[in-house]
Amino acid sequence: MSTLRSVIRVGGVRDSRLMVPIVALAAILLIDLIVVPGFFNLEMKDGHLYGSLVDILRNSAPTVVLAIGMTLVIATGGVDLSVGAIMAIAASVACILIDPRIIGLNLQGNITAVVGDPTYSFAPIPVVIVASLVVAVACGLWNGVLVSFGRIQPMVATLILMIAGRGIAQLITNSIKIIIFNDAFAYIGNGFIILPFSLFIVVALFAGAWLLTRRTAIGLFVESVGISFRASLYAGINEKRIKLFAYSFCGFCAGVAGLIAVSSIRTSDANQIGLYTELDAILAVVIGGTLLGTGGRFSLLGSVLGGLVIQATQTSMYAIGVAASAITAVKAVMVIIVIILYSRQVQDLGGRLVARLGRKQAAT
Amino acid sequence: MTGPATDIVVMENIDKSFPGVHALKQVNFSLARGEIHALVGENGAGKSTLIRVLTGVERPESGTIRLDGVEVTIRSPLHAQSLGISTVYQEVNLCPNLTVAENLLIGRQPMKRRHVDWKTMNRQAREILQGLDIAIDVTQPLGSYSIAIQQMAAIARALVISSAKVLVLDEPTSSLTGHETDQLFRVMRKLRGEGIAIVFITHFLDQVYEVSDRVTVLRNGSVVGVYETAGLPRLTLITLMLGRSLTELDDINRHRIESSQHIGTESLLEAEGVGVFGSIAPFDLVLHAGEVVGFAGLLGSGRTEMAQLLFGIDQPTTGSMTMDGAPIRKFSPIGSIERGVALCPEDRKAEGIVADLTVRENIIMAMQASRGWFRHLSTSDQYAIAERYIKLLNIATPSADQPVKNLSGGNQQKVILARWLATNPRLLILDEPTRGIDVGTKADIQKLVLSLAEEGKSCIFISSELEEVLRTSHRIVVMRDRAKVSEFAGDVDEQELMQAIAGGES
Amino acid sequence: MMQTLGLRLANNRKFLPLGATVALFAIAFLAGTIFFPGMRDGQSFFNLFITTPFLLILVVGEGLVIISGGIDLSVSGVLALTTVASAALLRDGWDPWVVIGLMLGMGVLFGAVMGLFIAYLRVQPFIATLAGMWLARGLCYIISDSEIRIYNPLYRTLSGTRILIPGLADPVTKKGDYVTILVVVALVVLAVGMYIAHFTKFGRTIYAMGGNNGLNEQSARLMGLRVDRTKVQVYMLSGFCSALAGIAYSIYVGSGHGTHATGMELTTIAAVVIGGMALTGGEGYLLGGLFGVLITALIQSLIQFNGQLSSWWTSIVIGALMLVFIGVQSLLATMNARQLAAGRLGSPGARSATAGPRRSLLRDRRVLIGAAAVVVILVVAQVVGAQNPSGASGGAAACTLKPFRQDHAAELIKGGAVIAYERNGGSGCVDELYAIYPDGRIVGDNGAQTVKKQALPADVDALLGSINDLGWFTDNMYSTTEIQCGQCFTYYTAVSYKGVLKTVKAVDGGTAAPANYWLMTGRLSTILPAFGAGAQ
Repeated sequence: MSTLRSVIRVGGVRDSRLMVPIVALAAILLIDLIVVPGFFNLEMKDGHLYGSLVDILRNSAPTVVLAIGMTLVIATGGVDLSVGAIMAIAASVACILIDPRIIGLNLQGNITAVVGDPTYSFAPIPVVIVASLVVAVACGLWNGVLVSFGRIQPMVATLILMIAGRGIAQLITNSIKIIIFNDAFAYIGNGFIILPFSLFIVVALFAGAWLLTRRTAIGLFVESVGISFRASLYAGINEKRIKLFAYSFCGFCAGVAGLIAVSSIRTSDANQIGLYTELDAILAVVIGGTLLGTGGRFSLLGSVLGGLVIQATQTSMYAIGVAASAITAVKAVMVIIVIILYSRQVQDLGGRLVARLGRKQAAT
Repeated sequence: MTGPATDIVVMENIDKSFPGVHALKQVNFSLARGEIHALVGENGAGKSTLIRVLTGVERPESGTIRLDGVEVTIRSPLHAQSLGISTVYQEVNLCPNLTVAENLLIGRQPMKRRHVDWKTMNRQAREILQGLDIAIDVTQPLGSYSIAIQQMAAIARALVISSAKVLVLDEPTSSLTGHETDQLFRVMRKLRGEGIAIVFITHFLDQVYEVSDRVTVLRNGSVVGVYETAGLPRLTLITLMLGRSLTELDDINRHRIESSQHIGTESLLEAEGVGVFGSIAPFDLVLHAGEVVGFAGLLGSGRTEMAQLLFGIDQPTTGSMTMDGAPIRKFSPIGSIERGVALCPEDRKAEGIVADLTVRENIIMAMQASRGWFRHLSTSDQYAIAERYIKLLNIATPSADQPVKNLSGGNQQKVILARWLATNPRLLILDEPTRGIDVGTKADIQKLVLSLAEEGKSCIFISSELEEVLRTSHRIVVMRDRAKVSEFAGDVDEQELMQAIAGGES
Repeated sequence: MMQTLGLRLANNRKFLPLGATVALFAIAFLAGTIFFPGMRDGQSFFNLFITTPFLLILVVGEGLVIISGGIDLSVSGVLALTTVASAALLRDGWDPWVVIGLMLGMGVLFGAVMGLFIAYLRVQPFIATLAGMWLARGLCYIISDSEIRIYNPLYRTLSGTRILIPGLADPVTKKGDYVTILVVVALVVLAVGMYIAHFTKFGRTIYAMGGNNGLNEQSARLMGLRVDRTKVQVYMLSGFCSALAGIAYSIYVGSGHGTHATGMELTTIAAVVIGGMALTGGEGYLLGGLFGVLITALIQSLIQFNGQLSSWWTSIVIGALMLVFIGVQSLLATMNARQLAAGRLGSPGARSATAGPRRSLLRDRRVLIGAAAVVVILVVAQVVGAQNPSGASGGAAACTLKPFRQDHAAELIKGGAVIAYERNGGSGCVDELYAIYPDGRIVGDNGAQTVKKQALPADVDALLGSINDLGWFTDNMYSTTEIQCGQCFTYYTAVSYKGVLKTVKAVDGGTAAPANYWLMTGRLSTILPAFGAGAQ
């Protein structure tokens, strides 16, 4: 048990906290193993790996990416409700840069552009990607300025972009759903190198985030600002800059998630992309052990696991045959269980149980 | 006359400890009807703990409390209120967004046929305040009035709602002007005349003399004595508060005398006419390398504010400072750290430790801040630094990975010290570093300060314990009422020092 | 003298946000009547009420929750759940009054459970009500995946009855300005809410608990107020309002579905903020909420009358307004704090450790206000600059989307059609249902006209084939959201191919349908006959 503990001692979160998402994930997979035949089957076709497990990994990409960014924001004691809207904005920017012929044509709403050339892109694909991400970071920066300079409550500040953001996204594409035929861009969400390409993006982002927070001082400062803003001030930490960074990074992640999402469905659907994904992201972070509201210690790995738990639940429900629309009810139950598990009463109870077990063990 | 028979509150043999500190040692406290009883003592003396026991915030480990002759166990602040003990804190615990009348009567509003009768409520509120000689518009939000009025409202509510027999006023005058203080005292005297017992906690000695009948002096968790205010000379009061504890520490004294020979002649830091409007009156200060300068003065004299000014938390509104001859422009904590100035703050819990982080992380924090985001101290370096200081300062912790909130107060203080020592400062400002710490550790810290001086560093040592300041400082600056009033050499006569601190007539 | 002047200033200050909201509404409405002759009709004012009674009811409940220092994200979920549950019960023949009573009870119960989590398990209101919203919406789909229409006569009456405004309408000819029963209900709820807020102990405790960064809650406890119990009660009240709003909504649209009112919790919160109630709690008046609702409806109206701007400007304008109001609130808070501090400067003992940070606080906030002002100016410039004087032929209020004629479509399929395709909405507010037969016949019906066209059977085959090629006949069928947006279309498609019937619904601006679906609609558009001009 103690060796397992030391293996799990990653990130800054107490071991016990990381237990929750790990156990949850294990439980869900166990249920799948028993109830769904062939859930764990993996097939290799045309050099691609297929199977429910692969589906989980691929479909969880946007949520996990968002959760990585959201972790830092929540660790500073805030929250970012606008990530879904930022996803939509980034997606719209990408689409309009690939096919801006829409602008100027007085098309209203329902008519979509049907241009079939898979190599056409107005701007080179790297420029498209960079531009989208820059816009996403700018959105995050806007949130950060409101929170750190405007001293507005994070929930309130990010609510503004959450409401206005979709309108902005629609405006960029003039409410037109642009269909993307460009294969290179579509590779982001649909490509495979044995495993789905988006998975590699997630891994790279996670690695980058981990390096950025644990191999520089940023992680320590973020936790410090979340735990005690005054003590951090006295210790010479620039709390405003840390918050600006956290929100900008969250915006960046939302941009990445938006690109993955739009390239996998190949349409800029500004109303639907990222809808309610902010809630999934927050839930993933909470499951992963970072405390909402107070912040402080965070765990990127925990958030990733949290995202996987949510997606695994969803995929399992599909596989078992639960109607797609009932998924939200299941998610709600999950939230309730997490709430209860993390509530102080249960924590105290757990602590007392562990203490009693420890005493028994010591006595024997 | 007072006595166990007529006293409304009798606290006997109250004992209370917190991890690492024995806050109340067999304290006896009694309060008579119709008196204003002042409770004085420096920080860490135990007066706030005593009051928290009386008002139900804490429970004592042993001892009894008798209210009106009957023994009671006070379970919570609400319970204390129901027993007739009401407290008015410095941060008024009312709702500033509600009107004055509502704040007075909410929970007991007059109702007319199941709905709130605003007219009657306003009228009743006006009458209540008139009883305290206050005439204001009760229909305005409480928050639009000064703290003085808000306090009056809090007192009025305490009397009305809880029909208080005992009123505890915790540092009520800290935010009041002179005129408002007079008003408060008028109200207090009136209430005394009506038989209410008032506990008046303050650090303003003038006010103790102005309004109180008796005064209880606490020091280091024990009651030094209970006196009739009228017959107590000012200087005696201060001596009792600051006191002299036993000295096994003569070698520290000797150390100091020796090291004074090594003080540099060039100035390290020079402050000229530096002040903050409304906070510190302009002052001059010169510090030399290898020197320990003690700041003496009572609570509220402005020592902490001066420390924060020197460290860059506050910006000066007048005057200028130079370091090594070059003028200082960047007034911020990080600027100070870069210049080699460090501050160990007064409020350990809120401004010092980052509770959930480990000992190691707390120790290397300021050092890392000075290196910026990207020049990261490797984990092994961090452990090395942490272990070094754990050993050097004798920090009692199972490991460097222990969350610092689990340590005792004294060890937490050592961690903060370690944090600042790790930045290799040239000037270390220590604000009440020995507060709430056991005697052994106190001595350790004083020795450390002097050894730093020997290495050529400067130290500013702020403490309410006078003999500590005397023992460790080469020079002593006295502050009173937000201004620097005098400067003495380290071997000053204690009486003279007390006189300077006390000011006024003795 | 100085004191009375200062008091008068302070007196005015507390009503400032409410005054600002009312003034904003008045100015915007006046501007609308100037620019758009169509708005000068008195009915256009009353239409603001007619299209939003459920929103107003939600705002009353949410407003009280927010004043108490909490937040309720579940309001739209409970609303939707109410529509679905009541529609299902009505379909099974339950008495409508019993159904209404049951639904209100369910709303209260829902609120009570969330309130208990928040007050006693100390869960953050954000998370608890978020879970509530998910649970409510999920339960909707467990009850019914598809929309349930309501045919109950009582509901029909409540929906259609017009209440003429005395003085503005002629009772004899029954023509003139009117409102609906739902509007009256909503206003009554508002009045009751205002009474509760100002004349009951419960309401006063709500005000005492909120604001001041949670310090007020602490003070309220110390003052002996039953904070925890009030918390549970206010969420119960919000649940009641959500359920009542659900009843109103189901009367308004005539059906129950899990996708109703998606996103309405955000509009509710926006209306509360624009109405002057601070999200931190403790301040504001429910009356402001009414004007917040009217402003959101007005913005939508203005944009539709304009016709040039995309309807998505609505959300941008609302976001900008929120920013302004939040900025104003925080500025007022800073000014208050500063005034108090100024009164204490120079006095002994005034702890000024915060003096430095406080000065920079005001400086930072000024930057923020400046940024907000720039945003507002940009937005207003765009909106005003896009005014087209000739575009004054504004239509009436928002197009009320007609529900899909699913049963009719099924009949058509039974009668031999291979594709039944319905398209509602758009700027013409149409309702067009097409049937395509294997022999090339295409029949279109929009309720007023019928239009026919004969295409080649080969074309129809090709169409079906391409639908298959586009992956239409996979097992992923998308049931999608229906969002009312002024000029959007909603689509219902039923396709019968080789004995298999598949259906899908979609809407512009809100669908999970894949890109290929839009390719299909594009192809359909080319083959379908158009209705004659003037076919409204």
